[in-house]
Amino acid sequence: MSADPNSEGPKRVLRPQESRIVRIGAHLKREWQLYAMLLPTILWLVVFLYKPMYGLQIAFKDYSIFRGVAGSAWIGFEHFDNLFNNDQFLRALKNTIIMSAYGLLFGFPVPILLALMFNEVLHQTFKKTAQTIVYLPHFISSVIIAGIVITSFSPSAGIVNTILEWFGMDSIYFLTKPEWFRPIFIGTGIWQEAGFQSIVYLAAIAGVSPTLYESAVVDGASRWQMMWKITVPSIMATIIIMLIIRIGNILEISFEMIILLYQPATYETADVVNTFIYRQGLQGGQYDFAAAAGLFNAIVAFILVMTANTISKRYSRTSLW
Amino acid sequence: MSGVSLQGLVKAYGALQVVHGIDLEVQEKEFVVLVGPSGCGKSTTLRMIAGLEEITDGDLTIDGRLVNRVAPKDRDVAMVFQNYALYPHLDVAENIAFGLRIRKESKEVIASSVKEVGEILGLTPYLERRPADLSGGQRQRVAMGRAIVRRPKVFLFDEPLSNLDAKLRTQMRAEIKRLHKRLGVTSIYVTHDQVEAMTLADRIVVMNDGRIEQIGTPMQLFLNPVNTFVAGFLGSPPMNMVKARIEAGVNGPVAKFGDDTLALAQIPSIQNAVGTDVILGIRPEFVTVSRTADDGAVPVDVDLIETLGSEALIHGSLHDEPFVIRTETLGQMDILDGISGFNIDPDLIRVFDAASGLALPGQVTKQ
Repeated sequence: MSADPNSEGPKRVLRPQESRIVRIGAHLKREWQLYAMLLPTILWLVVFLYKPMYGLQIAFKDYSIFRGVAGSAWIGFEHFDNLFNNDQFLRALKNTIIMSAYGLLFGFPVPILLALMFNEVLHQTFKKTAQTIVYLPHFISSVIIAGIVITSFSPSAGIVNTILEWFGMDSIYFLTKPEWFRPIFIGTGIWQEAGFQSIVYLAAIAGVSPTLYESAVVDGASRWQMMWKITVPSIMATIIIMLIIRIGNILEISFEMIILLYQPATYETADVVNTFIYRQGLQGGQYDFAAAAGLFNAIVAFILVMTANTISKRYSRTSLW
Repeated sequence: MSGVSLQGLVKAYGALQVVHGIDLEVQEKEFVVLVGPSGCGKSTTLRMIAGLEEITDGDLTIDGRLVNRVAPKDRDVAMVFQNYALYPHLDVAENIAFGLRIRKESKEVIASSVKEVGEILGLTPYLERRPADLSGGQRQRVAMGRAIVRRPKVFLFDEPLSNLDAKLRTQMRAEIKRLHKRLGVTSIYVTHDQVEAMTLADRIVVMNDGRIEQIGTPMQLFLNPVNTFVAGFLGSPPMNMVKARIEAGVNGPVAKFGDDTLALAQIPSIQNAVGTDVILGIRPEFVTVSRTADDGAVPVDVDLIETLGSEALIHGSLHDEPFVIRTETLGQMDILDGISGFNIDPDLIRVFDAASGLALPGQVTKQ
């Protein structure tokens, strides 16, 4: 409680700083349950996201596990110089951008379309069955998904090649051909995640007032017109938010799926920044060099998400913050 | 003739019937208000007229055409919803034009129609604003604009003023009335607010539990309710209901409750009801207050007086039953001092059968 300095009587006059501390203390005392619930998340953020940032400095050091982070010598931007002169990194960067662009182009609209389609399905049993089927791959381990993909595209017994053979075509060694890696990877990603991602849009659609549709029905709108003139604009804020988040993660290509699917024969199109970091850092022991690549990745992602958010805020009134 | 006719209209959800075969004739250019408590089936009836609910049984004709199986867009009706149903991503002009765009009207027609509607509803300065940037009253006007721009044969209003505050509601009520006078379009209006019903309607349809209780002009219903439900629903404050027994008095039938008696109208149905239990319906406005005990007044234990400026509500009890009197004060508060009872003209007492709740026949209170 702040005191009025002009008031008379026995009230204790608090200095501004003191009154603020008292206010915060009173607030914490009153709302302690909320802060107690927040605490585990804050601890998680500190331990797993902020504390590791301390180690980022090795991107600028000649790091040795024996000398430790603090004891290693500073070498400035040497690792970054090496990074941009490294053909493998440049190839990985190019692949990352290409696969992210394809993922955005083909993968981003699919959950929206799925949600729109589910919203139009009136038969409840069919709707629930279809939803279960498309949500299911999300809950299956990536290892199993990769196993299914490898088996499906197997040149000897894979279903895809079996079908090709039915049409008199030759078997294709899909997973050893660089030109097939990207379509298979993008397609697998869509199959695995589009259904689950559509839940966000279905939730947004559920929030659209039914009277908007009823009003449109009385006005004479068809279901198609309602979908494009009411549903899509009504969930546009959600679409934009998801797009900004997606752009922020554009360099975070599904690392484990690539590790599981790629092989040296397909590095040309399959190797991305994250797999490059994995090979250099963990397999090659070049932690400092890998940290530089990782830091570069994070800075690009930060710039992308900031740019996307600013553009969205300016043109659509919707933004993450 | 763009009237609306409901014949034996039924709505059932599985085994649950919510509208039990209602009959209603709405004349061309008439403003009919469906009024009743929540869950009485008034909105369902309106939605059946709009085509938003399937009709289980009965016939619905609009402009002489059976429309039971006709799509909402082909019924030539426009509907105003309680929560406005404005598209948040469109500005006012686009919202008004939505129905015309869907019907693929030309740009010139759309532009001129939007301009005209904007002028009628005083929305011209706001045509480029989005709904989020409008006040509740402005949003409601846009919702009406969306309805009138199509020049439909019938307007349907589903509690359009419920989301507005009391002051704005009064203002918008008057605007709707003016708009109806100006456009002369057949209108069916649903509300649970009896004040809205009384002020807007050419005729009121009182509904209860999926059935029509009474249809009539506001004053017919106010003065001559056919049963205790209508009597208690219309009027603010509602009609006082006093349990009594009809006895033969020296000068005709009287109602006896406790030690008190009230003279009743000398009409056959009341005269023949001597010895039966009844409910007396006494409008708070129809009684005159009394300060002395010796003028034959019925005593009331007054416990609260609410002053409303030019009039006052006197709350009390009559033999342990709540009783309200509405009296004019014209600002002179001293006339409220020492009130001990009331008098009433026998012709203004509505007598209902206690068992059925129906008004005894032959009672007609004139305006």
